[in-house]
Amino acid sequence: MTILGRSIQATASAVLLASLAAAPAVAQTVLTLDEHAIGEIDPAKATDYADSILFYNLYDTLVIPEAGGTEILPHLAESWSIDGTTYTFTLRDDVRFLSGEVMEAEDVVFSLERMIALGQGFSSLFGGVIESVEAPDPQTVAITLSGPYAPFLGSLVRLAVVDKDTVMANLEDGDYGEMGDYGQAFLSTTSAGTGAYSIDSHDPQNLTVMAKNDEYFLGVPEAAPDIVRLQYSIEPATLRALITRGELDIGDQWMAPEIKAAVAATDGVGLGTEAGISSFYLKLNNQRAPLDDVHCRRAFAHAFDYESILELTQITDDIAFGRPAHGPLPLGLLGADEGIPTGRFDLDAARAELDLCQYDAGDFQIQLNWVAGNPIQERIQLMMQLNLGQLGFDTTITTTPWAMFTELASSAERTPHVSPVNFILTTPDPDSMLYTMYHSDAAGTWASVDWVMSDEVDRMIEAGRTETDPEARAQIYRELGQKLVEDQVSIFAYELVGVFPIRDVVHVPALQEAGQTYSVQGMNFMFREMQMQ
Amino acid sequence: MVLFGVSILIFGIARLIPGDPARIALGPMASNEQVEAMRDRLLLNEPITVQYLNFIKNLVQGDLGTSLYTRRPVTEDILSTLPATFELVLAAALIMTVVGVPLGILAARYRHSGLDIAANLLALLGVVTPSFVWGIFLMLLFAFHLDILPIAGRLSRDAVLPPQITGLLLVDSALAGMWATFWDALRHITLPATALAMGGLGTAARLTRANMSEVYGRQYIQLARAFGYTEREIAYRYALRPAMVPTLTILGLDFAIMLGNAFLVEKVFAWPGMARYGVEVIIRKDLNGIVGTILVISAFFLIINMIIDIIVAYMNPRILYQNQ
Repeated sequence: MTILGRSIQATASAVLLASLAAAPAVAQTVLTLDEHAIGEIDPAKATDYADSILFYNLYDTLVIPEAGGTEILPHLAESWSIDGTTYTFTLRDDVRFLSGEVMEAEDVVFSLERMIALGQGFSSLFGGVIESVEAPDPQTVAITLSGPYAPFLGSLVRLAVVDKDTVMANLEDGDYGEMGDYGQAFLSTTSAGTGAYSIDSHDPQNLTVMAKNDEYFLGVPEAAPDIVRLQYSIEPATLRALITRGELDIGDQWMAPEIKAAVAATDGVGLGTEAGISSFYLKLNNQRAPLDDVHCRRAFAHAFDYESILELTQITDDIAFGRPAHGPLPLGLLGADEGIPTGRFDLDAARAELDLCQYDAGDFQIQLNWVAGNPIQERIQLMMQLNLGQLGFDTTITTTPWAMFTELASSAERTPHVSPVNFILTTPDPDSMLYTMYHSDAAGTWASVDWVMSDEVDRMIEAGRTETDPEARAQIYRELGQKLVEDQVSIFAYELVGVFPIRDVVHVPALQEAGQTYSVQGMNFMFREMQMQ
Repeated sequence: MVLFGVSILIFGIARLIPGDPARIALGPMASNEQVEAMRDRLLLNEPITVQYLNFIKNLVQGDLGTSLYTRRPVTEDILSTLPATFELVLAAALIMTVVGVPLGILAARYRHSGLDIAANLLALLGVVTPSFVWGIFLMLLFAFHLDILPIAGRLSRDAVLPPQITGLLLVDSALAGMWATFWDALRHITLPATALAMGGLGTAARLTRANMSEVYGRQYIQLARAFGYTEREIAYRYALRPAMVPTLTILGLDFAIMLGNAFLVEKVFAWPGMARYGVEVIIRKDLNGIVGTILVISAFFLIINMIIDIIVAYMNPRILYQNQ
């Protein structure tokens, strides 16, 4: 045989092999979507949106929030009882890990201890709160808290149950004594949960491929995607081309509105929305003159053109990524109060407040900050600059890289006067939002750049933590919301609505049907609930 | 020695970037105790000299530490992303050389002709247009409108991966005789490599033209013409070799610089490379990631320049004799 002949034969063989190997993919449904890097698959380290998507597909939690509501429902735990500060959970007996092992109470104890020991992800939800965790029998977990802590049930949506035996069999050397690395190396490459999907391959910066778990305890409907490819950090222009060409099915919410509008105008592409889990604030530094005077803060709030800003958020005639905010909490959350009026742009009212302020506008140079990479924030600050100028304030607009912003946020003196912040709920409990942003003990992070430092606010937040009656809690949060608005600690600019381009090949109930949204980031991307068309 | 100096410099500079790496990594909900615990674990509360000595101790064992960005060992991150960037830069360097140098030669041979003007224009456009603009332009034209090349990634979704030998998909698939995969990888790399090459291509063409023009003015070229050599023989045997020395040096520098500058092209084409990783770790003040990435790029810079020095010495032995 000639060299040419051999080459042709080799090529034909390779093509045949390739087509054979690729053959099963033809029969399977594949969903491709995009999020911002990185994708963290260790559930004890998950924090961001992509991490949360992975978390809720690879693992399960004892409880889950109600879709479209505020109730906490059973999941891996079929029931629970509360006796003082002790929560006793009865586990389902039909749940198996990917390894085939039955999920038992020891796995829950291990998962909680592991999370607290690693001290990463959402471990602060549990770290200072839990006194003991025990497994009196394989179906029972008893968790005793160090004191009354009402957000605890809601916090449990961030405790993923991992397979203790599998993790223990894959320990490597590390800093945790007999626990070695606590399975960190192992769980950064694969999953060991009960989830509806399992890891096929994982590159945290580029792509995670997941496959349907046919043994899932709730069953995975046939219409759910067989394979899911979660890609990371694709450039918006590239995303647009990929969606238009049908190579990507769901785009991320961080694309510029004009790109979303262009994509939505394409045949076979629609927009899905996720409302009620996040808000956008212009944080006012309450510790820095002139904003340490409530009248000056109110003047700033009246100088904010709410309606024009909401117009900026319009993507299509009927979909926008912002909706009017009624105080600090997004509507739908426990304690959110629709009775709190939305902000009002009124320069005369602003001037009247300024007259009551102890400071003169001309004595200060106001720093309006925006975080690099968020052009909408720049537009908002430019509008703010224009309006504050009419009140006599001299302003400078500064662009701050993210790392620099976190550094500035660590001290009240260095925090700019006005900083825009998006906050997305990490648990369905309002405490995760209010404590992180407004309690004095949580000051010094990018989420708390308003530096409220108020004993009264602290007391109300703590009262919300210790009150166990839901209606009484809701009342506390309503009063707290009114107090924060009255003190005008921030400008409550608008509620953020996540808007996602979605191709017609997939239906996503949580994003495309009314009343189906979960109030936790990432949970609306449970692939088992999606239907490939 | 150079790498040692670079390591000290980068180790210090990385720590001057504002922001607490532990707080950035743990997020706003983490308690101050958690942040302090992580700072202790990372030795961030120790003097910088202690931190550096610890870094060097680990480095000699091949350990660049753990990335706070990916939470994986930095060595693993770099090993998983470097081959993609290296392959992209290699392909771009090939395009720069194979297209840029002949373009310069032709422009020099046919000075002031239409070809010369066209080559100059292309070279100028290559130099003044940022690579990401080329990337978006090429993607929109060839992948989106004409639909003849893929938009993003290194391989198609259903392509079969070759056994990993070098990590370079073109090389590995060719070695395995997997020509379908080779063709797929070639189609995927064409646009990003061209976008990345355009700047260097322009430089190579302009430099080659300028040097060739200068050499064409020398007396020995006139002598060669007098002896009846053809223009082709004169160009390739007598003019190109000396004219190539500065071009090669610049190409070598471009190659190393592209390793760091490929970020935007990698971003546009969703290319899973190290340049993208390098920028992300800087944004998140991932100290180990920053130092590891820059050390690797510096090492490449040194190696490439050594290779270029050897080639230049081969092409122009006088340089070697002068040094001796």
